[in-house]
Amino acid sequence: MDDSNSEDAPDLRPSDGDRIRLNVGGRLFETTVSTLRSGGPDSLLWALSNRPISSDPIFIDRDPDAFSALLSLLRSGRLPSSSTLHRHYLSDEASFYGLDHLLRSSLSPPPLLATDASIVTTLSPSSDALPSALSASGGVSSSDGSVWIAHGGQVSAYDWSLLHSATIRTHLDEISALRRVRPDFAAVASPVSPGLHLYSLYGGLHAGSAQWSDPSDPRVHKATVVAIAPDDDPFGPTIFASFECPHRENSIAAVDRSTLTISSLIGRQSGGSAKTAVPGKLRHLPEKNLIFSVAISSGAFGYSGYVRLWDVRSGDAVWETSEPGSGRSSRFGDTFADVDVNSDESAMFKVCSKSGDVAIADLRMLGEDPWVYLEEANPVLRGVSGGGGGGATTVLHCYQRQVFVSREGALGVWSQVEEDREKRVTERTFRKNWVDKEGDSDRGVIRLMEGGGNRLFVCREGVEGVEVWESSESSGVVFIS
Amino acid sequence: MPPFAAPYNPISMGYPKRTPSPPNIVTLNVGGHLFQTTTQTLTLAGPDSILSTYANPGSSSDAFIDRDPELFSVLLSLLRTASLPSKARSFDLQDLLAEARFFGLEPLLVSSLSSPDRFDPFALEQSAVLPLNGRDPPSTLSVTQTGSVHVAHGSKITSFDWSLRRRSTVLTRFPAVDSLLAISPSVAAAGATDVAGLQILSLSDGGSTLKTLNWADPTKSGSAVQAIGASPDLLFSSFESCRRNASAIVAFDAGAGFQPVVEIGRREIYGAELDSAIPATKLQWVPSYNLLMAAGAHSGPSGRTGNVRLWDVRAPMEAVWEAKEGTEDCFADVAASEEVGAVFKVGVNSGEVYMVDLRKMGGWVGLGRGAAVAAGKGGKEGSGCRVECYGGHVFVSRGGDVEMWSEVVVKGGLNYGLGGDERVMRRNVMGRRRGDGVGKGRIGEMGFGGSRMVLARKGEQCVEVWEGGSDLRF
Repeated sequence: MDDSNSEDAPDLRPSDGDRIRLNVGGRLFETTVSTLRSGGPDSLLWALSNRPISSDPIFIDRDPDAFSALLSLLRSGRLPSSSTLHRHYLSDEASFYGLDHLLRSSLSPPPLLATDASIVTTLSPSSDALPSALSASGGVSSSDGSVWIAHGGQVSAYDWSLLHSATIRTHLDEISALRRVRPDFAAVASPVSPGLHLYSLYGGLHAGSAQWSDPSDPRVHKATVVAIAPDDDPFGPTIFASFECPHRENSIAAVDRSTLTISSLIGRQSGGSAKTAVPGKLRHLPEKNLIFSVAISSGAFGYSGYVRLWDVRSGDAVWETSEPGSGRSSRFGDTFADVDVNSDESAMFKVCSKSGDVAIADLRMLGEDPWVYLEEANPVLRGVSGGGGGGATTVLHCYQRQVFVSREGALGVWSQVEEDREKRVTERTFRKNWVDKEGDSDRGVIRLMEGGGNRLFVCREGVEGVEVWESSESSGVVFIS
Repeated sequence: MPPFAAPYNPISMGYPKRTPSPPNIVTLNVGGHLFQTTTQTLTLAGPDSILSTYANPGSSSDAFIDRDPELFSVLLSLLRTASLPSKARSFDLQDLLAEARFFGLEPLLVSSLSSPDRFDPFALEQSAVLPLNGRDPPSTLSVTQTGSVHVAHGSKITSFDWSLRRRSTVLTRFPAVDSLLAISPSVAAAGATDVAGLQILSLSDGGSTLKTLNWADPTKSGSAVQAIGASPDLLFSSFESCRRNASAIVAFDAGAGFQPVVEIGRREIYGAELDSAIPATKLQWVPSYNLLMAAGAHSGPSGRTGNVRLWDVRAPMEAVWEAKEGTEDCFADVAASEEVGAVFKVGVNSGEVYMVDLRKMGGWVGLGRGAAVAAGKGGKEGSGCRVECYGGHVFVSRGGDVEMWSEVVVKGGLNYGLGGDERVMRRNVMGRRRGDGVGKGRIGEMGFGGSRMVLARKGEQCVEVWEGGSDLRF
């Protein structure tokens, strides 16, 4: 900051151990330069700590109570538990001092351990509060625990501390797919209105839309977007989305983030049968440069569908499987109800529609029938997990090496036992546990699940609001007096 | 405003010298606690505040104010950041208000809690219920810019101040107040459809009548007020003669003792042309267009008919725009939105919401809720619906529920994204499914002001207040 000191002048800048006095709104604080600098070089306090030593305390015209809490945060890394200041106020003050990242990390939940998680809150927008789509910041880099919720035709944003930060109204009446593009933009799509639309969340302006059209083929017209791939990186150059025309012609499209034009089509197909239906779930695996697409439909004869892996560069399908298969599958007649991929682990998981069994497949060793079924040795759980018969609504979601599986309203999780981490994916030991309590499942059938920022967000059929599950270090002990 | 100030003395390596505070730092001793702040911060309090007297650096260094230091610390934070700190909520709002009044910071406190720019339409939820005493249900209500609520019930007007904590009731000479408009927190204009004259009432000292305004109607039968509206400098009143054969809107100069300025749209009935003199029952000033919207309707044996007119006050003889409302789908209620630049109505038969773009002044365009179907059946879907515009959104009450219509500008248009920008109106249902609005009475009156939406339901002796941002609310 202050590099103008010439050689001969004594260095008056304080060194790390020096004490420094601050006068915040009339209250005196005494601390060391190293404490002030622990807020990082971008903070206001770092800049102040570079001031020359003087007898007068540095004066800051702010609330001393908030500063006192933030100074404790700098000294000990945690907020004093006696602090009664509201998160919102503290967060405003922290951003004034440039300490919001410290506050964020001290207030964010510990790593989500699904075997020990509980509901901390339910986010409920003020109006039209039935959620239709979710976007948690799923990526490792940007995982701050914030969530965006599409409800009705609106999108509401909740920040890292789960405080409501914005709501916008889109022109769509029902949003079925939502994704973040850059920190402030939402990509939304509706099953009844064509195109992929971009809205700025702070300001509510419609920034433009991407449409799939093909001048040489009149059937490609008014294509709606069915799924948008969530991306770990909100600054990623491409949005992958699956488009479907009214005549069921469909394709995965790579949409350029800045120009909103379709740069390439992957796997265009007629949509005439279950094997060419539009994918309802898309995942982008950036390290492998693969697109993972799943199309599953349920009809009178049970579930049917396919899973495909596409190479983004060539646009070719690298691998695919479809169920019901030709009978080679070890579980004939027990087709998958949902499939998800965990790119960190190079593993793919499916849940069977009838038995509720979960199977794993190693992405590096995909064959004709790659599935290895996970078995739970605990007889108590083995009996329950089946759920009895087909037709149960089940959702599968992978987050941080944990596989969340819901069946109707119940929420279970398959977690890896830690010492098996070096083994091949399919040989590791998985244990099943319930995440919820018995009473929790009465609230309604689970429709959507998404993990992000060490939180799991859960939506239930016909229930307003989004449940937030977190692990906590505090025991929640109840003392009986 | 620089948030921190540099220490003033040059660096001395020798003995630390006790130097006086730099000139832009002010030390205040409030009730024994020392507070330090900058002159810039104190100047923000405004010239009327006693704090501004301490803002000039020449003032004595030891300013002592004999007030509660805890409350002062909240007000100082308010000055610094323009918003209340969270610890403010541990105090009673009345105490804080009294303290703010002492320091002359009341306007700042009011605007930090309830001002139109804090209106958050997407976060509105029911936040308060204001009880009314007696047996008369609310007949009309008026909300001011700062969010104070005035409710007429029977012959009484009950006023709630902006903090909603304090209430006062005045008795009027009307048997039932039908029109009410709060001109300021302590002065209101009131009228009734069956008693002649528009009264300007003082709401602070027992409801004394400051002035009674009349229209010198051609029949000399006296004239009763049908609706009241206001622009920044004019007060409008729609009068109908008590024989019900003549009507006009009269504009009074609010600044100059309510002298009548101009008579707008005078109508008299000749012969059997009953429709020619329907008085306006709703008046609304549309500021940026400099237009007065006047709408009136009456129900006859063949159905409801009426008209919506837009008046330029400088040309009071001829309406700028007029829509004759026939029996096919006459309005149940009309409102103009300055921000959207349109007039909105709810059709009484179909319940459909229609709009007219003020820039084009064409005909009504339905916003799409199956108007043709319902209108053909001669239903009464829209009967009793109310429309109000506030903060760029359109609020429609339908039975016990409120829906909000929001404007969305779609870049490239809806038609495949290839055309020009298109403005569309989209509907949101307010409130949650559980709790709000379910099993509650039909909404009779809606009012907006400050950061609030105020609802009065039929047959309920209370008024509902909706506000946004539960984590920021006091």
